[in-house]
Amino acid sequence: MAGPAIEVDGVSYSYGDREAVKGISFEVAPGEVLGFLGPNGAGKSTTIKILTGQLPAKSGVARVLGRDVRRDDPETQRQIGVCFEEKNLYEGMTADENLRFFAALFGLRDVDTAALLDRVGLADRAKTRVAGFSKGMRQRLMVARALVNRPMVLFLDEPTDGLDPVSSKAIRTLIEEEARRGAAVLLTTHDMWEADELSHRVAFINEGRLYAVDTPENLKLRHGKRSVKVRVREHGEVVERSVALDADDTGERLKDAVAAEGLLTIHTEEATLENIFIQMTGRGLD
Amino acid sequence: MARPVSHAAVVAAIVRKDLREFGRDRLWLILTIVGLALFIGVFWLLPGSVDETIRVGVTPPDLADTLIGFSAEETRGGTGDAASQEAQPTQGLEVVRFDSAAKLRAVVSGEADGPDVAVGLAFPADFAGAIERGAPVTVTVYVASGVPPEVRQAMESAVREIAYFAAGAAEGADPADVVPVRQETVVLGPDRAGEQVPLRERMRPLLAFFVLMMESLALAGLIAVEIQRRTVTALLVTPASLTDVLTAKSLLGTSLAFSEAVLMLALTRSFGAGWSVLLAAALLGAVIVTGTALVSGAAGRDFMGTLFLSMVLLVPLAIPAVTVLFPGSTAVWVKALPTYGVMEVFVRVTSYGESWAELWGPLALAALWCAAVFGAGLLVLRRKVRTL
Repeated sequence: MAGPAIEVDGVSYSYGDREAVKGISFEVAPGEVLGFLGPNGAGKSTTIKILTGQLPAKSGVARVLGRDVRRDDPETQRQIGVCFEEKNLYEGMTADENLRFFAALFGLRDVDTAALLDRVGLADRAKTRVAGFSKGMRQRLMVARALVNRPMVLFLDEPTDGLDPVSSKAIRTLIEEEARRGAAVLLTTHDMWEADELSHRVAFINEGRLYAVDTPENLKLRHGKRSVKVRVREHGEVVERSVALDADDTGERLKDAVAAEGLLTIHTEEATLENIFIQMTGRGLD
Repeated sequence: MARPVSHAAVVAAIVRKDLREFGRDRLWLILTIVGLALFIGVFWLLPGSVDETIRVGVTPPDLADTLIGFSAEETRGGTGDAASQEAQPTQGLEVVRFDSAAKLRAVVSGEADGPDVAVGLAFPADFAGAIERGAPVTVTVYVASGVPPEVRQAMESAVREIAYFAAGAAEGADPADVVPVRQETVVLGPDRAGEQVPLRERMRPLLAFFVLMMESLALAGLIAVEIQRRTVTALLVTPASLTDVLTAKSLLGTSLAFSEAVLMLALTRSFGAGWSVLLAAALLGAVIVTGTALVSGAAGRDFMGTLFLSMVLLVPLAIPAVTVLFPGSTAVWVKALPTYGVMEVFVRVTSYGESWAELWGPLALAALWCAAVFGAGLLVLRRKVRTL
């Protein structure tokens, strides 16, 4: 499709008197991964609930694949995949049965569940009941379930939560593959490094308000410190100096640093997404 | 990408999933199988014939002594101690004193609380004096429906015998010649003369209700787990709508409860000429208990909470089935309970062979309750899921 896969325009939602989402707007293009970053209670889950038809927006427009999102709209829902933060799997059923059941809800009978389980590293656990799964295995099955219908829009809420580094890497690879396939991915995560690595763009949300939507590079350039940290050994001691990149004498100072006898390391002082988030919202992500 | 899928296919997928889960839940599976076998076993172990003591209410109270004395005389060949016989079954007779005829009538009809008496004898206040004077007297015999004709006839002749006994007439004389006693028999409730129901038959509705209740508990458990683990949320972001989910749960609950009730009724040889009425009643009962399961499954916070709520809802619904165990008319408030119509149909079909023509009233009442309870269940569950 030509337009954005996800469109959010001035969307608000309140739980009673508490405004959870305050007129936020953003878009996600097909094949794009948007990292949705914010602390607990920032409005991430409410936004996902609105976009997946679980909650009706109080105001504004939410569209998925060009259709206004509403409850019980099978036309939209058959094209989306959702990985919830809570591990809401059927414990008494095997991994394979869980996937087949959800495939049946999408009207799919010929789903290659073995291949899907293989993608998340659970091929050898296909016939094991979920009740016997570890937290990480459940999380991987959650991701597999979200992919059962080859969705064009993926909502992934903390998909690598509780995973070991190897499994996390496998899930990240899978997300990249899905994006390459053309799926739009809305990814919420607390892991700034992960968001930085996976997301084409990131959105900062706090207290229901959207603070920024941009590429990680742009955010870092705009908000990070443009400087280089130089470490040299002088008179037997390690000394650290910061060289501003926008100063008049930047070239001279860098030349001196490189030429210095006791040069140990030179590092760019690039801001992290977490630093930028704190700088913009005044609070951390935890 | 997924293809469009019909609601029927979605509902069928959810029902299959629920059946698989139900089949793997050992607790409910064992309870279902063992429960069904137990209830059917109990049914066949219960006496299939009647052998019971009739409690007779008598007013005015002093006439009770005369009746006890008469009864003891009959039992012991006329040498008994009358006073010691009160409240002791004598020849299957137990006498209870009442202050007034109105109270006696109310208790026999089940409209007032009191001792469980199936027959009441209301003598005029001056009975003894009238007998002595040889004046004609009228004795009212109140009979609860379900009292067999032989008991009714026995009571009617007992009245004459008492008069005879009270008048101290010579042995061998015809009591009718001694005292001019007229009797007026009032049957309270539907006249079931000649149709006394053995305990086994009376237990049938209660056992059928137990079967329905078990399935209600099982369904409530399934729903509660679906809500507590938020798996229902995962369903609702697929083409499955909330209506599909509710339809699937209702279908599963009703089908399980109905099929087990039918199995139980079949194994207790309940199906006769009125089989279609019985099936209709079983279906209505299944829908009612499914409605309660939707409520308790939605409202329970954990297993114990769900179980507790289920019992709170189901125990009152069991009362109409329990009242069948006790002869006599049913209190008005019991008739107001949702399952009364269903149990009434069970009893009147299996014990008295009644058909659609006679039972449309209780069936209509049951259908109304069915719609109300099931509607409430859908409403509560829908609301609960929407607020997750």
